[in-house]
Amino acid sequence: MSLYSLRNLAIEIADQQLVEGVSLEVEAGQCTAIIGASGSGKSLTCLTPFGLNSGQASGEMLLDGIDLSTTSAEEMRKARSQLTGFIFQQPLTALTPHLTVGAQLKEAAAQGDIVLDRADIIQKLERVGLSRADEKLDQFPHRLSGGERQRVLIAAAIAHRPKLLIADEPTSALDASLRHEIMCLLDDLRAEHGLGMLLVSHDIASVEGHADQLVVMDQGAMVESGPVAKVIANPKQDYTRRLIAATPRLSESAPVLPKTGKTMLETKEVCVEFPKPGWRRGKISAIQDANISVHQGEALAIVGGSGSGKSTLGRAIAGIGPLTSGSIEWEREKLPKRRSRNLAMRASIQPVFQDPIASLDPQWKVSNIVAEPLKNFQPEMLQTDRQIRVRNALNEVGLDEGYLNRNPASLSGGQAQRVAIARAIVAEPDLLVLDEATSALDPLVGAEILKLLAQLQCDKRLSIIFITHDIASARRLCHRIVVLDKGHIVDEGNMGDILKNPQSEITKKLIAVS
Amino acid sequence: MLALIIRRLLTAIPTLFGIILASFFLMRAAPGGPFDGERPLPPDVQEALRASYGLDRPLWEQAWIYVSRLLRGDFGPSLVYRDFTVTELVAQGLPISLTLGGLAIALALLIGITAGLFAAVSAGKAADKSIMMLATIATALPTFVTGPALALFFGLWLGLLPVSGRGDGIAWLVMPVVALALPVSGAIAKLTRAGLATVLKQDHIRTARARGLSEKKILFKHGLRPALVPVASYLGPAAAGLLTGAVVVETVFGLPGLGRYFVQGALNRDYPLVLGVVTLYAGLIILFNLFADLIYGWLDPRMREE
Amino acid sequence: MRSLLHPNHWPLWIVIMLVAAALLLPFVIPWTYDQIDWDAVRAPAFTGSHLLGTDEIGRDRLARLAAGTRITIMVAIAAALVSLVVGIAWGATAGWVGGKIDEAMMRFVDALYALPFMFIVILLMVIFGRSILLVFVGIGLVEWLTMARVVRGQVMALKQRPFILAAEAAGTKPLTIVIKHILPNIAGVALAYLMLTVPQVVMVESFLSFLGLGVQEPLTSLGILVKEGADDMDVTPLGLLLPGGALVLILVCLTIEGERLRDKYS
Repeated sequence: MSLYSLRNLAIEIADQQLVEGVSLEVEAGQCTAIIGASGSGKSLTCLTPFGLNSGQASGEMLLDGIDLSTTSAEEMRKARSQLTGFIFQQPLTALTPHLTVGAQLKEAAAQGDIVLDRADIIQKLERVGLSRADEKLDQFPHRLSGGERQRVLIAAAIAHRPKLLIADEPTSALDASLRHEIMCLLDDLRAEHGLGMLLVSHDIASVEGHADQLVVMDQGAMVESGPVAKVIANPKQDYTRRLIAATPRLSESAPVLPKTGKTMLETKEVCVEFPKPGWRRGKISAIQDANISVHQGEALAIVGGSGSGKSTLGRAIAGIGPLTSGSIEWEREKLPKRRSRNLAMRASIQPVFQDPIASLDPQWKVSNIVAEPLKNFQPEMLQTDRQIRVRNALNEVGLDEGYLNRNPASLSGGQAQRVAIARAIVAEPDLLVLDEATSALDPLVGAEILKLLAQLQCDKRLSIIFITHDIASARRLCHRIVVLDKGHIVDEGNMGDILKNPQSEITKKLIAVS
Repeated sequence: MLALIIRRLLTAIPTLFGIILASFFLMRAAPGGPFDGERPLPPDVQEALRASYGLDRPLWEQAWIYVSRLLRGDFGPSLVYRDFTVTELVAQGLPISLTLGGLAIALALLIGITAGLFAAVSAGKAADKSIMMLATIATALPTFVTGPALALFFGLWLGLLPVSGRGDGIAWLVMPVVALALPVSGAIAKLTRAGLATVLKQDHIRTARARGLSEKKILFKHGLRPALVPVASYLGPAAAGLLTGAVVVETVFGLPGLGRYFVQGALNRDYPLVLGVVTLYAGLIILFNLFADLIYGWLDPRMREE
Repeated sequence: MRSLLHPNHWPLWIVIMLVAAALLLPFVIPWTYDQIDWDAVRAPAFTGSHLLGTDEIGRDRLARLAAGTRITIMVAIAAALVSLVVGIAWGATAGWVGGKIDEAMMRFVDALYALPFMFIVILLMVIFGRSILLVFVGIGLVEWLTMARVVRGQVMALKQRPFILAAEAAGTKPLTIVIKHILPNIAGVALAYLMLTVPQVVMVESFLSFLGLGVQEPLTSLGILVKEGADDMDVTPLGLLLPGGALVLILVCLTIEGERLRDKYS
């Protein structure tokens, strides 16, 4: 008998049927992963049977022999305190801010009637990889980084010796360089304690090396399930096939990229420093001595974890962020700092941002949003001509005229990003700086946007700087790659070369996670 | 924590100093004051003023005399209550005002937090909605309306409580304190409920629930302290509001508190009295704000660093 | 704004109707607020043409109530607008410029926030006399601090949003960005707080008038009426309860409406 099984699970919230017909099993010591886009119902499937949200779950739900559909709220609470451990997505807010780390760990263990003394707590924290555990256990959560807090949460989730571990996107909010480490930690703990694990993720690549069974969900229904390797190698359903095709993986074949030409952009010894916040003295160095170059028609990937400085470099190049020293040359001409850039210089380099909806003014209509660069760069243009150009730009990104009068709030993530790209290309720039432009989108939508960018690059001989933490995505688009760590360039070269022979630790970590 | 206190004091002291200096210069510059002969004062008072303010000395020396006097607690003589110095008047009136204010804030916290808790726990139901409507109405009830209204109802019509004057026992305190506390308790109730509603949706509560903790434990151990943070932030402005309200309540109920002296002083242009009271109140509020900051730091450890 | 007729806005409509009644009343009843009827002094309600009776000097209560409402609302709106303008200017500047200037500006606000502003306003009134202009400006200056804080918070949050950076990349000048991108996006919050400032101002003005320091004779305001009513409450409770009730009604309705708007735009 499996440790945990669901058969024909259906979930209803406020009279709306949100999940239907989901069946899965988790064996002790094994990991079952649920994959799906946001809104597919995967979190609901994990949390509702245990009474953690306001949904009504029906169907067969068996945990270690207990029928969850007939338990009262009080019994459910006891089941949670004895049998299950939960890990959630966002570690920064999951710990109580006014209790120390040690106190919270102690409380978690006490739920399983286990008493921990100080030495026990230190040992548990060290087991999950927390450095200087003897100091940290007396500190409040806000003194620990996101990665450290997630480690504490993992320790707390198993402190009461549960049988089932439920992890809802445990690494999505973490820095890319940490993800592999945390997933391996979970695997080790699972083996060590004989835990069954139910893992939720939106990314097949992160699940591949860690799960035994795979369940694919879409819009509240189960699409496909089976052993992981089998499903990925031989997807039976169309949705699964599309999802696997859309998710960039390093194991897929290398793309055919357009030819490149002369050097367009060159940065020399670029440094960016920020003053420390508040009244403190001193500066924080975000970028040190960055030398990169981009050729015509080329896509350059700038890859790194959070805090590596990749966004800062991108913004300095695009003229929307500070530049402390060094020079940025465009077509052999030195670009001035941010405020001094004239319109002609700005017109050549345009940015696209990570959060599509936030990059559009909520009070403006799409037509005005896309027209803004034209109004500034070509003020003498007649309004009728401008409208034609706006319409063309929207068509090029795959949006028809119906979108002209829409408000950003009414757009989906993918549509909003297309509008942002239309705005970026409407004045015919030569270089696009894309700052994590696909990271916030669902895998299917992100793949479409990536395809669009490849096509635009081909049609218009655009140069592209593609900033991301996901090397596999970058590989689909980019000729060359630069890897940043804490403001320094640690790896640089052709995409294929670097992937075969990564020089630095951080590159190896980023490759492992893809 | 210590750093926070020191930083607060560093902002507070110049502010207070600024107020004191501003008071001095205003008093010297103001029309109709005691120094420009607009109002004829009896010669003995004029002589006393001349002596105490050193009017024949250079300006900066006068400022120095004034400030050093102030720091020693000497606010100068009252122009209206001729036989008293301002310090003596303050000594008479301050205890009454402080009693009123202190009791009012205690009552407001008691009623407000309890009501807010109750409303938050029965969120969405009739109890919640009615408590919140009552709280909103309470915040919109100015003390100068509720004071007389209470006096009318309980004093004149029902004859239960004294309408004015400071008597013996505690009966004279009831209506003034209630009138003062009402708007503040409404605000605290709303803040408590809003704070709790926000906190109960937060991730760390979900973590606690996932661990199988009882709802009671979740509420009191994990939820209450962060929920009270907005209340702690409000304590400073609440104190300022109470001092203001005390002025009205003392006037309406005829209580010889500092607020009433202040009003009389304002109407009669008794500058030393008015300025002395303003300075004193400003100092009190700064102290109270510091106290509120300490409470905030205890509730939310993140504040202790910033 | 388009849906003002929606039933959700009932508090606002109560206030609007009250103000409309106060504005139209002079055309309906024969008495003005300072006219003395020597034949009817301290008359109870429904004496002759005095629907609500007369006060201790013989002035018609209803006319005075209407006049008081008019003045109170007028002062409140004017003062609230003063606080709006000052608050937005201060807060938007601090939020947009950022850095050390912002810190300095906001510490100034913090220092003032804790002071018993009421007392300082009274102080200024005592020193500089009681002109109606001072009443407007003084009260408005008391309330701008909250508006400044709120606007500054909103502007800072907006400044971080990518659409501002995109506008900069698109070549838009900073002043144009502030006018066309920032201000439209803080309009909702500013309106909500304006709505909440009005009751605060009404309270301050009534308070000053109650103490005899605000609006001066022969003008009247609800605060003055409450004071007069309180003095006479043993004889005619109506003199206290009517203006008091009107005041509380205005305050409660505006507060409810303002909070609803504030919750909507936060």
